[in-house]
This record gives sequence, structure tokens and C-alpha cells, in this order.
Amino acid sequence: MARSLYNTDLYREKLESVSADVLRNVRINKGFLVWMGILTISLAACLYAYTIQLQKGLGVTGLRDATSWGMYIATFVFFVATSLIGMLISSVLGLSGTKWIKPITRIAEIIAVAFAAVAGLVIISDMGRPDRFPYLFLYGRIQSPILWDVTVVTTYLFVSLMLWFIPLIPDLAISKSRLEGRPGFLIKIYEILSVKWVNHDRQFQIMHQAMRILLILIVPLAFAIHTVTSWLFAVTPRAGWDSTIFGPYFISGAFVSGTAAVIIAMYFFRENYKLQKYLTDFHFEKIGRVLALVSIIYIYFNINEFIVPGYKLKTHEAIHLKELFTGHYAWLFWGVQLAGLVIPVALLLIKRMRKPLPLLLISIVVFAASWFKRYLIVVPVQGHPYLPIQNVPVEWMVYKPTIIETSVTMASMILVLMIITILSKLFPVVPIWEIAEEEATVNEEIEHK
Amino acid sequence: MRSIILILTFLHLVFQSIQGQEWKVPDDKKGRLSTFAFDDNTRMAGQKLYTLNCMSCHGTPGKSNYLNLVPAPGDPATEKIQRNNDGEIFYKISVGRGQMPSFRSVLTSDEVWNIISYLRSFNKLYRQQVKSVISSTAYPGSTINMFIEHISSDTSIVVTAYAEKESSRVPVTEAGIKLYVHRTFGHQVVDEEKVTDKSGRAVFRIPEKMHGDSDGNILVSARFSDEDVFGTSSKDTVLAAGIKTIPVSLVAERAMWNNVRKAPIWILLTYCLGVIVALSFIVLVMVKIRDIYIVGKYLENKASEN
Ligand code: HEC
Repeated sequence: MARSLYNTDLYREKLESVSADVLRNVRINKGFLVWMGILTISLAACLYAYTIQLQKGLGVTGLRDATSWGMYIATFVFFVATSLIGMLISSVLGLSGTKWIKPITRIAEIIAVAFAAVAGLVIISDMGRPDRFPYLFLYGRIQSPILWDVTVVTTYLFVSLMLWFIPLIPDLAISKSRLEGRPGFLIKIYEILSVKWVNHDRQFQIMHQAMRILLILIVPLAFAIHTVTSWLFAVTPRAGWDSTIFGPYFISGAFVSGTAAVIIAMYFFRENYKLQKYLTDFHFEKIGRVLALVSIIYIYFNINEFIVPGYKLKTHEAIHLKELFTGHYAWLFWGVQLAGLVIPVALLLIKRMRKPLPLLLISIVVFAASWFKRYLIVVPVQGHPYLPIQNVPVEWMVYKPTIIETSVTMASMILVLMIITILSKLFPVVPIWEIAEEEATVNEEIEHK
Repeated sequence: MRSIILILTFLHLVFQSIQGQEWKVPDDKKGRLSTFAFDDNTRMAGQKLYTLNCMSCHGTPGKSNYLNLVPAPGDPATEKIQRNNDGEIFYKISVGRGQMPSFRSVLTSDEVWNIISYLRSFNKLYRQQVKSVISSTAYPGSTINMFIEHISSDTSIVVTAYAEKESSRVPVTEAGIKLYVHRTFGHQVVDEEKVTDKSGRAVFRIPEKMHGDSDGNILVSARFSDEDVFGTSSKDTVLAAGIKTIPVSLVAERAMWNNVRKAPIWILLTYCLGVIVALSFIVLVMVKIRDIYIVGKYLENKASEN
């Protein structure tokens, strides 16, 4: 494709129409303020719960000697998992030349940034002495997967932020002159962040180079962050965590929850921002197929993860598996596996189910099930420690999340929503220049014929 | 149906008989008494030993938080155990029964008495009877002494026992003697019980891997196995009979579990390399963003010049 495309009238024309549609939503209106208000109030309520935890310690949660990782860590794993979608959409599909992902790459990156950013905070909520967080950097042991996790999660967050930002630069430049009526500070931010972009071919060239570096860098990084998160569990000798396939098991599961999150966001933006022209049924059809594919891969890893120890039934594995299959966690386990994976896949194979609304409903179930799946990975294993303790109260042995704990977990989810809201309301949620480019190219090709 | 009832009745009977069975102590062992009076020191020593050896099953005395075993271990502060006399408790701790282990080769008799001293502190009605004389029935009126030496040429330890009365000294013959090495956790029995010969000597073989301290020293104790006959005299001696052992600290070498300064080299390198590679790519991208800015600035200036 000739670079000079960016100077054609056709491209400018397209730019005009696309930016009009997209920028209509970039403003601070009543809806935005009310929504942020609700989020802020709920966040304040949940943070109050956290202040209680800060004063009284982790004793106000359900965490005790036996189960010391509960809801918080399950949520952490879930957040890290969901954030991987940025890599799948932008890199894996993007680098392989898939065209239909263009309008949703930014949504995927927003989700990656929001979930990765809060994942780190969730870890702090699990600390009894958060004031000692800096010790991790002062006295951290490089041998510990926990330090690797901190390293890769922060790096991934930063790179995802750049993956969101760099393709945004041309949009910022395009938009800044079209933002009459918006608050001055917003226009000022656009001015600064657009780093003197003037739509010059040389600038496009540099941007494409930068993007290529990032898109390649993000692949090993994303694999690293979720593999290392899985190692937090897999490097221990506990039955149920002591598995060699935990890395790919976690990554394949991550794509499931991430794809579901993107679909939910796509539907929301399509309806609320009136973007039906850009997020079409065709896009839903395609991403529905992606969800089916990644779910099937995850089912494959699930079969592997349970059949192999289930066939051998080593003493401790047997206790753990029995608890999942027929014991205390059986309802949750089979609910998650069937309603969260098997049934969605069966439905997604039907074309009609890949229309926006049915796909949204399926994704909501899949997304919720993904959280419970993480809970099932983290919690039940700890109910059967190798060194049993005696003569202790039941609460020390059996984990039950408390209201305070649940509220603090809610706080992290609210924070994610706030970040998504800010990034999607104050900045164009679909890439203007890329869509214009795409439409112009298609038009040109038609004219040539 | 009938057979099931039969089996159940049978099981019930078996169960009852196990549970209700009286723990009989032979008559000649019942009267055994401590040779020292119980005081705060013995009680405190006993509490330490109790915490180490007994608490896991019997729980904290007075709290009735013993393990749920059949038959139940029982709480030592209660009637169930306190109704035993000293000799009976001594016997039960030494010999054991079923799930109650025998502590004969784990604790010395003094240690068992210390524990009893501790257990009795929970019984207000208890008045101690002490056996006044340390005497042996076999050598009445004599003081019995032991002497321990290490024969390095044939890796053995020789214990010689003799009875002294006024200025005469006779070898103690045909007396069973046990030899222990003091270890951090309890006592290690050396060889088997040996019987003294005509000259009062008992010869113990030192096992092949007998670890000593950094000088090869071990602290050994000899005791008569039948203390009723030969008395409770014993002898503690330090011998250079062990292998010189300098314990290697688990954190002395580079290892996964060590602190960061002693981390395995490969992991330090891999981690640092990973961080450096990722960071350099990020820096490269930042430079590119700067380039975009520079190009824009240049074009802007050019435009304003024209
Ligand atoms: C492995 C568990 C266990 C340990 C350790 C243990 N006991 Fe016991 N003990 C038992 C059981 C079980 C019984 C009941 C045995 C029976 O009645 O057959 C018992 C019985 C006894 C009795 C007799 C109770 C009676 O009814 O007369 C005494 C005394 C006693 N234990 C003292 C001790 C002391 C002192 C220690 C520590 C040096 C100790 N036990 C360590 C399990 C244990």
C-alpha cells in the first residue's frame, strides 16, 4: 500500500466521517458524571471495608492458617488472565494480518491496561502489612516467582499502555481540532499527548516501526506474565497445584475470560456509543468464533489437567479430586465446567448464537464462570495441607470469605470499571485513522476494478 | 439380617473390651518411687519434656484437649491418670500399651520422674513419698560405681561396674547394663543391653557411623537395666569415640532457597538478562516516540517559516 494514501482526498473524506461518528462520544456529559459518581460512591464504601482490614489485620478476612490464599489471589489470577487478551488480539491476530480486528484492538488494549493495572493492587490488598510492600524491591529474592511476577506484571502493564497509546497518537492529532465544546484540560491533554503528529509519511513510518517492536515484545511478555502467575502455584508440591501443564493451562484459560470481556465491552460500546457501523454483526460473528476456539483449547487442557492425576489417583491428589468431583466443591466445579465452558462451546457452534445479543449473554456467563474457575484453582487445594493441624477451630481449616473481603474484592472490580470508563470516554474507543485507512483502501481497490 | 446383627454385636463386644480393659501393672513394679523429691526445678524440667513428648496426644493438662484415639489417652490432670500411684505411672510411661508408646529407651528414669513431678502438680491432694536410700539389693551397704572407657583399637566402649564398701572393692557381676549417647532429641541406644562378666565389664560395639561433635566427642551414659536390684547409679562420660562432624549449614551454598546474595548464578543471569532485554526494547520505543515529536516539530517550524 502506498504511503501517499494518507494524503489522498478519499482518506481525508473518510477521516471526516469516521471521526464525526467516534468523537460524538468523547465528552463529559451527564451520563458520564452520574456513572462515575455511582462508581466513586461504591468505591468509597468498599474502601471503608479496606480501612477496617488495615486497622485490624487480615483476621477480618476468611484467611487462616490452612487457606492463606483466598478470594484476593483468585481475583488477582483472574485479572492477570483477562488482561492477556490485549496480546491475543493485537499481536497474535494482528501480526498474522487479520483485518477485522482493527476496530476492536483499542478495546482489547483498554481491557489489558485496566485489568493489569488493578491486578497489582489486588496483591497489596492480600498483604497483612501493606506498608512493607517496598520490601519486595529492597529485599526481594530473585529466585522467587513472586518477584518475577511483580517484574513481568509491571512490564506488561507498561507495554500494554504503550500499545494503547501509540496507535492513539494520530487519533489525538485528528481529534484535537474537532473537540469544540469539550473542557479545556481535555484539549490540552490531547495537544500534549499527540506529540506534534502532523500525519506525515515519515511519522507513520516511525509509528509502524515502534508498533512492530511492541507487538513482538508483548508476545513473550504476555506468555511470561501468565506462566509466572501459574508458577506461583505450580512450583509448590501441593496436590492440585503440582502440575507441569499449569503454564499453558493458565494461558489458554486466560484467552477465554479475556475474549468474553472484550465481547461484553464491544456490545456495550456498540449500543451506547452507537457504533453499529464499525462494530458490526460481522465482527461479533468473528470474535464469537475466537471465543469458541479458545474455549475448546481450554477444555482440552482441562481434560489433561484432571484425567492424568485422576487416572493415577495418588493419595493426596485423590483427596483433592474427590473434593472437586463429588465433594464440597462439586456443584461449583461442574457448574463452571459445564455452564462456563462446555455448553457455551456447544452454543457458539451455532451461527445464530454468534449474533451480538446471544453472544453477549454467553460471554457474561463465561466471564463470571472464569472468576469461579480461578477460585476453584486457588482455594480447594489448601483445604488439605500435608501437615494437618489439630485441636483448632473449624474456621481455621475451612475457608469462607467474609463480607469485608468481598467488599475489598468489589473495590478492585470497581477500579477496573473506572479505568475502562475513563479511557473509553475521554479518548476515541475505536481507532479513527485505521478505520479510515481501511475504508479508503477498500474503496480504492473497488475503483481499480 | 441376622448375621449383620451378630457381627455388630461381636464388634461391639470387641470394642468394649478394648476400651474398658484395665491396664494392669505388675505388683512388683507398683511400689517404685522417685529417689529425689519433686520441686520447682523437677516440675519445670518435666513440663519441657511433656511438651516435647506427650502433648501431641495428651494435650494441655486440664484442658481435656487430648487426641481422639481409642482407647482415649486422657487428660493427665484428671482422675483417670491421677488415681495411679507413682510406680504405676512410671511403669505405664516406660512400657506403653497400644497407641501409647514405650518411652523406656527415649527417656531416662530421672526424666520420667521429672514428667511425673510435672503431672502431679495438677493434683492438689498428692503428697510425694520418696525412696530414701539409693541402695542395691544385690550389694547391700555398698556404693555402686561405673567407669566408662573407649577402646579405639577395636571400636568398642567398655563399662566397668564395681561395688565399694569401706576400702574394699568388688566387681558387679551379671548385671544388665544399657549404654546411651545423648542427642539433641532424646537418647541413642548403643549396641544392645550387655551383661557384666566376672570382672564387672560389659563391652559395647560402637556402630559404624557414630557422629560426634566437631572434635569427635560424644556424651555417653551407662545405666543398669534392673535398677531395683542394682540401684539407680549411672555414669555420664565424654568420649572421643565419634566421627568428627562439622555440620554444614543449609544456607552455606548457593541455592534456590537461599537469600538473594546466594542465589544460583544461572537464575541471577536469566532474570537480569530478561529485564535488560525487555527494558532496552521499551527504551527503543520511547526513542521512536521522541522521533515522531522531532519530525513534527521540524515540519511545524518549516511551515511557520514559509
Ligand atoms: C501417640 C500418642 C501418645 C503419646 C505421644 C503419649 N501417650 Fe500416653 N497414652 C496414649 C494412649 C492412647 C493411652 C491409653 C492407652 C491404653 O489405655 O491402652 C495413653 C495412656 C497413658 C497413661 C495411662 C493412663 C491411664 O489410664 O492409666 C499415662 C500415665 C500416659 N499415657 C502418660 C504419657 C506421658 C507422660 C507421655 C509422654 C512422655 C505420653 N503418655 C505420650 C497415647 C499417647
